[in-house]
Amino acid sequence: MSADGLCDLDLVGVSEAIHTGRVSSVEATEAYLRRIEHHDGVLHAYITVMADRALAAARAADAELQHGERRGPLHGVPLGLKDLIACAGVRMTAGSRVLADHVPERDADATERLHAAGAVILGKLSMHEFAFGRPAIDGPFPTGRNPWDVRREPAGSSSGSGVAVAAGLCAGALGSDTGGSIRGPAARCGIVGLKPTYGLVSRRGVVPMDWSLDHVGPMTRTVRDTAIILQAIAGHDPGDPSTRDARVGDYSAQLEAGVRGTRLGLPRRYYVDWPGLDADVKTAALAAFDELRGQGATIADVDAPTLDLAPAIWATFLSEVYEYHRETLRDRPQDYREGLRIRAWMGALVTAPDFLRAQRLRARLRREVLALLDGVDALIFPGQAAPAQRFEDISTKELIAPGSRYTNPWNLLGLPAIVVPSGFSRNGLPVSIQIVGRPFDEPTVLRIARAYERATDWHTRRPDPAGWRLS
Amino acid sequence: MNSDADLRARFDAELRVAGLQLGERDSELLFAMWAEHLPQREALRATVPGPDEEPLA
Repeated sequence: MSADGLCDLDLVGVSEAIHTGRVSSVEATEAYLRRIEHHDGVLHAYITVMADRALAAARAADAELQHGERRGPLHGVPLGLKDLIACAGVRMTAGSRVLADHVPERDADATERLHAAGAVILGKLSMHEFAFGRPAIDGPFPTGRNPWDVRREPAGSSSGSGVAVAAGLCAGALGSDTGGSIRGPAARCGIVGLKPTYGLVSRRGVVPMDWSLDHVGPMTRTVRDTAIILQAIAGHDPGDPSTRDARVGDYSAQLEAGVRGTRLGLPRRYYVDWPGLDADVKTAALAAFDELRGQGATIADVDAPTLDLAPAIWATFLSEVYEYHRETLRDRPQDYREGLRIRAWMGALVTAPDFLRAQRLRARLRREVLALLDGVDALIFPGQAAPAQRFEDISTKELIAPGSRYTNPWNLLGLPAIVVPSGFSRNGLPVSIQIVGRPFDEPTVLRIARAYERATDWHTRRPDPAGWRLS
Repeated sequence: MNSDADLRARFDAELRVAGLQLGERDSELLFAMWAEHLPQREALRATVPGPDEEPLA
């Protein structure tokens, strides 16, 4: 198998190649490392490549596999971590000069679980500064270029995770999502991204943006790949009290069960009729909904009036951003990029009464949405407002982009939310749909996503490496 | 009354309450972002929850 052929596989394909002996974990790791060396000068998916450690882990995996010790589907498989998820002894920057020399002593819980599953960690992936900065194509930590068009951003904040998976610079990745930071780059890079239920995956060892809204989750080429990674990282961690009620399911068992008889709710007013929705995203989403109807799902229009306030509610959580950074902002403001610094200061202007008003309305939104989910199995709607933007078209004046309405309500509610590719715009950029489920009902969300995915070939398409140059 | 001068006065007052002392460029950028976000904040303040609507536990 050629190195490029291996890197074009999805995670399951890489896993099968290793576990059937067609390639070793070392050969797979070397293939990714060569591809990173060749292309990452343009794509900027990685902040730190852990070549020596990765090869050592791959050698260990090969030795175990040769002795018949198979830990599971991730054993020997090369993955990447967003550079706010700790890997002991490896620099962790969160994409910021503020942490340029920070080396955590202990793995994050998610990293520990991936190590236990036998995964090979290739490196730490680029990101928007502290998960809330703006895209950057220069400076010490560029945030990455979209492999479908390198003149465009990959969205963020888990930008490097989206780029690396889409470009075949790892077999799968972890990202984090506070307002759409997994789902945004997944949608714009043409891959699958899952924000799990709040409290299903530990945040211990993850640099926070908003403690209340942060989620860690998988970013992969297929729904099955996402289920495999989720299975490895989900579960109670005494180091993160929010996981005390984590209910871990079997995320692969129902994947092929289809959607016949599944009831879906479409928040048409808020998501489909919104004037800011791109026409190509809308067309592809409506076609995807027809596909699911054709497979036997029913789709009914639903509404939750308080969705209109979700971005304003979400913005009050910037007080958490400010609280985390306040001393460093005061002492070293020049070490932050402007985009993060200004937004963090906005958090200082959130008053306690405004924050509590937002919490009361958040509770109202939760009641409304859980009532909807009493009547349907999941919600479905377009996965994003628009395809990837050119870097020069990105607005810097807004606190939060209007298109974040597609993602940030689901952080407020902590519900599982997945984006899955639903086609391409007329100019060849990926578009997606999103599925949101009940708390800890990831199996249903994954099953619906897989039912759509298996009827299409969007997830098998790859960006052309010939386009990964700047001249 | 939301004249530019009123807006600036409100903004400066909020900066003082928050204890922020910013350079000129950062202050201008923050003012622009604050003003752009103001309608959302006003919408939040204008939505009055019922007396039995508590924050999430």
